Formats: sequence, structure tokens, C-alpha cells
Amino acid sequence: MSAVLVALPKYLKIYRVSLTERLVYRADFFLGTILRFLPTVTTILLWEAIYEGSKKDELGGFKRDEMIAYLLLVHVSRMFSSMPGLAYGIARDVRDGSLKKYLLQPIDMIAYLVAYRGAHKTAYIATTALPYALLFFLFRAYFPPFPDALTLTGYVVSLLLAFLIGFFFEASLGMMGFWFLEVTSLLYIVGAINFFVSGQMLPPDFVPKPWSDVLKALPFKYLAYFPAMVFLGKVRGWDLVYGLVAEVAWAACFIVLARLLYRWGLRRYSAYGG
Amino acid sequence: MARYLRLLGALARYGLARELAFRGNLIAKVAVEGLWLAILLIFYLTIFQNTSSVAGWTEDRYLFFVGCYFAMAALVETFFLSNCNEFADLVRSGDLDFLLLKPIDEQFLVTCRSIDWSTAPNVLVGAAVMVVSLWRMHWPFDPLRLGLFVAMFLCGLGLAYGFLLLLTSASVWLVRNQSLYELWWLFSSLMRYPREIFQGRIVTPVGWFFSFVVPAMLVISVPADVMVNALDAKTVGFTAAATVVLLVVSRKVFRLALRRYRSASS
Amino acid sequence: MPIIEAVGLTKTYRVAQKKEGFLGALRGLVRRQYKEVRAVEDVSFAIEPGEMVAFLGPNGAGKTTTLKMLSGLIYPTRGEARVLDFVPWERADAFRRRFALVMGQKNQLWWDLPAADSFQLHREIYSLPLDQFNQTVGELTEMFGVGDLTRQPVRELSLGERMKMELIAALLHRPQLLLLDEPTIGLDVVAQVTITKCLKEYNAHRGVTMLLTSHYMRDVEALCKRVLVITHGHLIYDGALSGITEQFGRTKLVKLQFLGETTPEGLDEYGEVTERVGPAASLKVDRARVPEVLGAILERYTVVDMSVQDPPLDQVIAHVFQEAAKQMAPV
Repeated sequence: MSAVLVALPKYLKIYRVSLTERLVYRADFFLGTILRFLPTVTTILLWEAIYEGSKKDELGGFKRDEMIAYLLLVHVSRMFSSMPGLAYGIARDVRDGSLKKYLLQPIDMIAYLVAYRGAHKTAYIATTALPYALLFFLFRAYFPPFPDALTLTGYVVSLLLAFLIGFFFEASLGMMGFWFLEVTSLLYIVGAINFFVSGQMLPPDFVPKPWSDVLKALPFKYLAYFPAMVFLGKVRGWDLVYGLVAEVAWAACFIVLARLLYRWGLRRYSAYGG
Repeated sequence: MARYLRLLGALARYGLARELAFRGNLIAKVAVEGLWLAILLIFYLTIFQNTSSVAGWTEDRYLFFVGCYFAMAALVETFFLSNCNEFADLVRSGDLDFLLLKPIDEQFLVTCRSIDWSTAPNVLVGAAVMVVSLWRMHWPFDPLRLGLFVAMFLCGLGLAYGFLLLLTSASVWLVRNQSLYELWWLFSSLMRYPREIFQGRIVTPVGWFFSFVVPAMLVISVPADVMVNALDAKTVGFTAAATVVLLVVSRKVFRLALRRYRSASS
Repeated sequence: MPIIEAVGLTKTYRVAQKKEGFLGALRGLVRRQYKEVRAVEDVSFAIEPGEMVAFLGPNGAGKTTTLKMLSGLIYPTRGEARVLDFVPWERADAFRRRFALVMGQKNQLWWDLPAADSFQLHREIYSLPLDQFNQTVGELTEMFGVGDLTRQPVRELSLGERMKMELIAALLHRPQLLLLDEPTIGLDVVAQVTITKCLKEYNAHRGVTMLLTSHYMRDVEALCKRVLVITHGHLIYDGALSGITEQFGRTKLVKLQFLGETTPEGLDEYGEVTERVGPAASLKVDRARVPEVLGAILERYTVVDMSVQDPPLDQVIAHVFQEAAKQMAPV
């Protein structure tokens, strides 16, 4: 534990430097924020049309308003759990030898990347908070009443855990670079599946049983589906507690997995030379 | 001209030879594309399990729309997308110079340099889906409609290409451009659904914007409309005109970008 | 009629200044500061057809920028040029067919395919008739001695072999002018020598005008009689290679062999002693003082053998660059 405390200032510094780096790419930032809304808006409109055409109040256990709120909320979840380029970056560092910099300097690659990503996420969330708030305000009619303090706490916890699961899952994928030369194909496949399996495309409840149960048993639901459901108030009481505990367990699993893969990978890496 | 077509043929042949050298990777990419199509089809089926029409599009007609989308997106991804994405790197590394030295139109080289064969099968899949949907709705064969469809499909392709070219040219001015793949994903998300979904007080103007100012939503909607829904001469005319305008404007912007590159590079 | 004519070529451009630290980056979001860089300043020269001319200069001197302006890749800020009777930056198709630019350490060929395939693509791009193309390929592969290597993927070739392929590709369309930017950089000695030999042969054989930038004196001495020296964007010399030493050489090397076992004391009075081996010594002496120094030494010591030489060319050049750098040090 003391080792962590000692190392903390170093990683905080990395956090600060990374934050600076992000702010430098200004045009990138402004443009990207505005453009990120478009697919959500079109998806919302599509679902409006679907409900309209069905002439039903509720589909897949979701009322129309809930569905729209869900689509907005998964965005928030993904803000925390998406790790673009993380797995690819790790695999690339292994492949072209830049991994060496982590071995030669007194720095732990995983801790470094967590600090780096944390900084990026903070910058991103800080700058998109305003436009998102605006968007949510415009759509406020669709949202259920604001959740109570307990549920809200649960929501925030689930988001932070989603960051961890997202990070360590992608990191573990990147570690595949120690064993396979070309990981990009694997990453494509996982990325494509993830979009569907995390619930970002549509809630797994829409998929007929038994497939919906399978999807809900997987950890990927925590990346988008679960936090959104918590906020919507569709996961209450003991279900919420159970869900969060399971999320903690999954996060721990992925942390352990990533660290193990890293250790084994390093052993293999040094055995074969850079 | 014939010369450019021959060159394109040569580029396609050598591109294929190069991809086949990495067979495993190619197969994986094709598999992923197949997986993605499967997901979109599952989505489509799920929707129509719950409703019988979406913004006036019934199940079979919507399937035609989906097939049209597959084919169009696949054409853009096969011929243009990876080339345009590389442009930012070429600008940064200065390797764009090599393209500028050749006695070939720069726009052609930048946008058509290599062919991504992994998405090529999707064009056929998209066409197959369209054929299946036509068969299911017992579509009466109408050569006029078919001809108009092909024309509008090409216009849609032209619109998508023009937009892609504008985005590509932007890399010269923006120091670090958003990955073009991301921007293409955004554009293609606009064209993924029928534009009729933009109903309602607030969104109709937005729909209007993306149909007539930034004509993203016309790309698939119009050809699909022409084939399976009622014909609307005004929209068809507008689409054709918009395509021409966009192609001309995007070419001008591209040349401007090259000028800027050549003034700023060292 | 000169094949290249440059008059007052100038290129300056603005570079955005990045501020340090967190607050600086924040400020940079709102307002940017720019610095002016003068890459090329008022450069004028003329080159006749068939000449082989070298551009010498330290890194960042403006050699590559000048070459790029002559290729039409960059617009000059001021000045004019005519190359092959075209204005280069108008980039007429006919112009682009008549010259070639090769850059060292940069690859134009397709990485994963054999060079032969890249050559075929080249043929399509330049619309070369098949029989002429085949003949040219045969000639060039023989001259460069690459033979079967054209069937191997480019990524499997050594650096030197790759460079030869690049040169072949550049010469396929029989350009009248060949521009080379550091063609032998990073290559081993054998490859360097082969390439310079081939270039010289090609120039003699076909009368192709060549303009190359380099900072390898060996290449320059082997290939070019005429040299343009550029430092900090300014052209400071344009003439024969041999003339450089005369114009810029400040010192001469005096080699002395004394009677006896060792060199005597007190030699440093006359100049900088660069070497002492047994009874032999080398002395760097100011040009102007050479006669007086020789006289003094011959009087004072017993000299068995002596010679007066020019210092090696690269030393002279290096000295020139250093001097120029000091003169034009940034404010």
C-alpha cells in the first residue's frame, strides 16, 4: 500500500502532462464534440418512428420515453468505459519495441496508461459536460424523475467501475500482442461485437430469450447497459446491490487478468528479445 | 478516360496481390464485415418483430433500404475510405509529395490509390439483400424505375464521395484531424435510416438541413425511394443537381488544400 | 539555353509557437504566436543541360526546400524559376513527365510487392509504350546490377538495393532532369560507390542533367565538378569544386620530417600541431603566413622532407558551415 502512496505523485504528474497534451488539439476537440451527437439523435428518431409504427405503448419492457432516455444514457456510460486505441496502442508498443521504454524507466506500463486515460477522460468529460447537459435538458421530458440519493450513488459507482472494466478489458486485449503478431483483426471483431453486446445498440431485453439472458450474464453489459438501467430506476433495491457487487467482482477479475497477462507477456518478451 | 480506367485496373490487381499476401488478415477482415452485417440484420429483424412499419416503410421495403445501405457503404469503404484516411498521414510525413510529382490527377491518386478488398464482398451481399427484398414484395419489373434507381444510386455515391473529399481536404488545415473513419461513421449514421424519421416540430428543420444543405440523408433514401416507393420528380432533380454541385465544390476545396500544403511545407 | 534557371528564389514560412506548461497550453487554445523561418533567401543560379551539379550545405540549410521548389512541390514566397522551360509550380503534366525526383530514405515503391510490379504501375502512370518500357527496364537493371532482385518484395531488400530500385523507377520514363535529395544517405560504402558510379555512367551515356544534394564529400567529389554551397538559406558559393579550397581555405597543412628520432620543441610557435609521429609532424598554418613560417622553420631546424597541402575538402566545408552559423546566429 505504501508503495502505491509513494508512486502516486508520479502518476498524478503524468495525469497533468497528459491533460495538457489533450488541450493542445483544439480544433479536434470542438468539432468532435458537436459531431458525436448526430448518431444518437438519428437513433432516437428511429425509435420514435418504431414506437409510432407499432401503435404499442411498451416494447421489450421499455416505454417510448424510457427507450429514448436509455439511448442518451448509454452515451454517458460509454463516455466512461470506451477506450479508443488502448488495445491497439499496447499491441503496437509490443510489436515495434517501444515497450522497452516502460522497462528501462521506473514506471509501470499499466499504471501509466491508467493515469493517461484517466486524464483524457477527465478532459473529455469536462469539455463535453456543457453540450451534454444542454442536450439532456432539451430531452428532459423523456427522463423519469431524478433518482434518489442512494440510486444516484449507485449510478456514479457503476460508472467508475465501468471505467475500470473498460480499461482492463481493453488492456487485456492489447496484451495479446505479446503472443500474436497481428492483433488488429481480433480488435476489429471484438469492437464490432462489443457495440451490440454492451447494449449500446439496443437493450438486450429486445433480443428473444434465451439470448437476452446470455447477454445479461456477460460483463459487457456494464460498459453501457447497466449504468443506464440504474439511472432509469429499472434496477432497484437488492438487484442494484447485487449488480454492483457483481460489477466489482468483474472489475477485479479484469484487473487481475490484465496484470497476469502483462507479467507472463513480459517474461515471454524478454525471453525472445526485443 | 481510358487511361485512368486502365490505371485503376492495374491498381486493383496489385492491390489484390498485396492483400492476398496477408491471407489470414484478409479472411479475418471479411469475417468481421460479415459479423457486422449480421448484427445489422438482427437489429432489423428485432425492429420488425415489434412493429409493422417504421416511418411509413414496411418490412420488405425497409429490407430493400438496408440492402441499399450495405452496398453503398461497401462501395465507399472499398474504393475510397482507406485512401482518404491515409491522406492526413501523407500530409504530415510529407510523402504526399510523391503523389504530386506524378503526371496524374492528384484527386484520383489520393482517393483511388488502393482498393480495400475486404469490404468488396459486401457490395454483392447488399445487392443480394436488395434482390431478396424485391422478390418478397413481388416487385413488378419496371425498366424506368430500375434506370432511375441506378442513376440515383450513382448520385448517392457521388454525394458520399464529395463529402468524404471535403473531410479529407480538411486534414491540411487541422493539425491533427479526427480519424477519418470516425467522421465517416458519423456521416454514414446519418444515411443509415430513412429520412422520414425526421418528423416532428423540432427535428423537421434538422432533417431538412441534412437533406438539402448537407445532403447526407439523400444518399440512400432517394435511390431506395425511387425503387420501392412513389416517384418524386423534385427530389430526384434536386439530388442530381446537388451531386454535381458537391462534386465540383469538393474538387475546388481539394485543390485549395493542395495549394495550402504546398505553401506551408518545407 | 539553361535547363534550370532560378532568380531570387525565396521561401519563408510561419511556424506556430507552442508555449510550455499547463497555463501556456490553455493560452494557446485562444491565441497563437508565430515565428518566421527563412528557409531559402534570394537564391539565383543557372544550370546547363548535361551538367552534374551538387548542392552542398549543412542540415536545414535550404537544399531540400530549393529542390522542392524546382520540382514544383512548393510555392516560393518570392522569385522566379524556369525548369525545362516550364514554371515548376504550375505543375503542367508535360513538365512532370520530363523530370524525376528521388529522395534518400523515402520509399516510393510499394512495400509488399516486388519492384517489378511497381515498375509496371509506373508504366501505366506515365503511359510508356511496352517495348520502350521493356528495353529501358532491361538496360537499367543491368546497369545497376540488380537482375533477379526485381522479383523480390521490396521490404526484403537491403537499403542499398532498395535505393537502386528507387533510382531505376525514377529513370523508367527517361527524364531529362534528375533531382536527387541525399540519395546515398544511410547506405554502406559499397552501395554508395556503386550508385555514384551508375549515376555518372548514366549522365555520360544519356546526357541527363543531374542536381543532387548531399553532405557526403565522397559522392560530390566523384560526381560533380560544379558545386553550389548553401548555408542558412543563402547561396555563398557557385563554381568549381576545386575553387572552394582556394576561396574558403584559411589554412594549409605543412608536413615536416625532421632529422633525428623525435620532433623538436617549439613548433607551436608557428602553427597548430595536429600530429606528431616519431620525427614527423603536421602543422596547421595560416595561409598568409606559410612562406614566413617555412622560412623560419628551415632556418631553425634541420628538415629532411616537407610538403605543403590543402586541408581535406570536408574540413574546409565544415569550417565554412561553422563560420556561417556563427555569422547568422539567431538574435
